[in-house]
Amino acid sequence: MMTTTRRFAFALALLLCASPSWAQTQTRTKAQIPAASVVGAPQGQPLSGTQLDVRTKEVASLVRCPVCQGLSVYDSPATMAVNMRHEVRDLLSKGYTEEQILTYFEKSYGEFVLLQPTMRGANWIVWLAPLALLALGGFILRGVFRKKAVPVEQDRPVTDRDQLPDDPRLARYVLEARELAYGWPGGVSPDHRA
Amino acid sequence: MNRKALVIGLAITLPIIVLLAVSFGRDPHKVNSPLVGKPAPDFTLPAVGGQGPISLASLRGKPVVVNFWATWCVPCFSEHPVLQNSAASMRDVQFLGVVYDDTEPNIQKFLAQNGSSYPSLMDEGGRIAIAYGVYGVPETFFIDPSGMIVAKHEGPLDYGQIQDYIQKMSQKKVASREGTP
Repeated sequence: MMTTTRRFAFALALLLCASPSWAQTQTRTKAQIPAASVVGAPQGQPLSGTQLDVRTKEVASLVRCPVCQGLSVYDSPATMAVNMRHEVRDLLSKGYTEEQILTYFEKSYGEFVLLQPTMRGANWIVWLAPLALLALGGFILRGVFRKKAVPVEQDRPVTDRDQLPDDPRLARYVLEARELAYGWPGGVSPDHRA
Repeated sequence: MNRKALVIGLAITLPIIVLLAVSFGRDPHKVNSPLVGKPAPDFTLPAVGGQGPISLASLRGKPVVVNFWATWCVPCFSEHPVLQNSAASMRDVQFLGVVYDDTEPNIQKFLAQNGSSYPSLMDEGGRIAIAYGVYGVPETFFIDPSGMIVAKHEGPLDYGQIQDYIQKMSQKKVASREGTP
């Protein structure tokens, strides 16, 4: 049987629980899910343990840290990135899919936040341009190697001592060299010329 | 001049020149928020100082200015009196501060020293900041009476800018009223 003191303590405890400060604590602990109003209810299975760790790494690696230079929220130590990483983990633990999570971040930050641009609209250029450039490079290389493969026409072998090369420019150099060496134009003495 | 070389040269350089001409006039750090023109993400957050939670939905029907800030943010310090004075003079506009990555004792101390004419709300874990696509503080969102985000401002605001944004919200309100049959 409850004594009067115990009843009073019980009533006081009830009163304290119903007070605004208690209600506020409850509000703080009750997690809000802003993503729910953007992407609806979770469409996957809630994850936990090692699976949650692995998926958090995979999905967070696809989200760009908005305050860093080319880092994902998984790789960045910035507070904003840490918060976003926690958000990814929390959403995965509630059963949100990768697609839903990426859509949520895209709706808040824009497509900039996705480290892999989606395959739509002008983004196709980003995906196809490297392939097109690779094909163009291959085409150019093919042309270069084909040119090299064409056999070079060999000069007629010089058999005679006085014979000049077929190439007129080379022939001129030979004559100049002969003149320098022997002192006569073309290296031929007037006696021999006659 | 070799016509072929000219065409190839122009094909390579022209897009680069156009890209540079367009990009030089823009701030590379500025990324337009996809939320402008969309409904503001709803939130219910506890107010600093033990006051009850405040939800954005409960403020529907009046213009709302949501300012993300923190005590460690130097520009927020210079912006604070501007927002305080604006909130005091614009009684028909609801100002809300959403505290980002800070502690309640720090906020209470800051508000005790620098004044507080509108509620500041605690955003544990920056969840609401993420929902609003916040990059850093201060950032301010201007939400019209229907709950649509009319504008986002990055960096500290001055009084003139606040008035311009509020006027923009009012004009939108008038325009939507005029558009109603």
